[in-house]
Amino acid sequence: MVDDSLVIAGRPFSSRLIIGTGKYPSFEVMRDAVAASGCEIVTVAVRRIDLDEQSEAITEWLPEGVMLLPNTAGCETADEAMRVARLARAGGLPDWIKLEVIPDHRYLLPDGEETLRAAATLVAEGFTVLPYVQPDPVLQKKLEAVGCATVMPLAAPIGTGRGLKLRQTIEIMVEQAEVPVIVDAGLGAPSHAAESMELGADGVLVNTAIGMAGDPVGMARAFRLAVDAGRVARLAGLIDESETARPSSPITGLITT
Amino acid sequence: MRVTVNGRERDLEPAATVAALLVELGLEGPYALVERNGEPVERDRYGELALEEGDRIVVARPVAGG
Repeated sequence: MVDDSLVIAGRPFSSRLIIGTGKYPSFEVMRDAVAASGCEIVTVAVRRIDLDEQSEAITEWLPEGVMLLPNTAGCETADEAMRVARLARAGGLPDWIKLEVIPDHRYLLPDGEETLRAAATLVAEGFTVLPYVQPDPVLQKKLEAVGCATVMPLAAPIGTGRGLKLRQTIEIMVEQAEVPVIVDAGLGAPSHAAESMELGADGVLVNTAIGMAGDPVGMARAFRLAVDAGRVARLAGLIDESETARPSSPITGLITT
Repeated sequence: MRVTVNGRERDLEPAATVAALLVELGLEGPYALVERNGEPVERDRYGELALEEGDRIVVARPVAGG
């Protein structure tokens, strides 16, 4: 079989599904969902430890070989995001960072200007930067120019499960991409993930749709299959749509003529 | 010696290291992240970096998140 790895910053991954670790009913379910998803990268947030009430560490529950991708969720400015990235790397987390700069609490939409500023600085400091952005082909080019490893446009606002509401803009990003485009946020169903892959996204990042599902482990498997299906379909070549019907059976030699 | 850890004052032995603080907090595992006076502390230096009176320490770790 032809190698179809997702390559980010020179590192190959056989899975094109990245999983967030939030919102699961328990670490045990999260662990099983991560395994069922086949993912090789999981995102984590970075938070102060509550010294009064210490809880179990999530890292105890993540399988060996799955890469931790720290995010900067909760940061509203470039400076805050850079502080979190530097803290994570200094303390031994990977030097890969899912860069999120989100000043908007209602729709959780990222600030492109601050994201670009933080990305440029962090890349210069040696980080592998995976920025979360609104679908914006112009911003995409700027992020590529400063050396981002991926660009991760949202399909719809975080946690909404609404699917590819911004499909046409993401298609433009796919068409002109020089680094992988990973659709991140807003996917609610495996069909949304398959659609993302069919239109040419290099990967998808899913959290809420799996973590909040009735059976997160089953849903993780469903997303795995959907991502694979969408990817294989993309490589196989989808047919062009037609305004009118095109018969699948011969139109000559009919019994009734 | 008094330092502030995650916003709360704490008494430590004079010149206690970051590593000693983490042991006292029960956080000597692989993923305790430390900031001292707003600057990240490299893990390699946890064992040698002596804290000083009045230091503001943040101790963090990875948690569940998207």
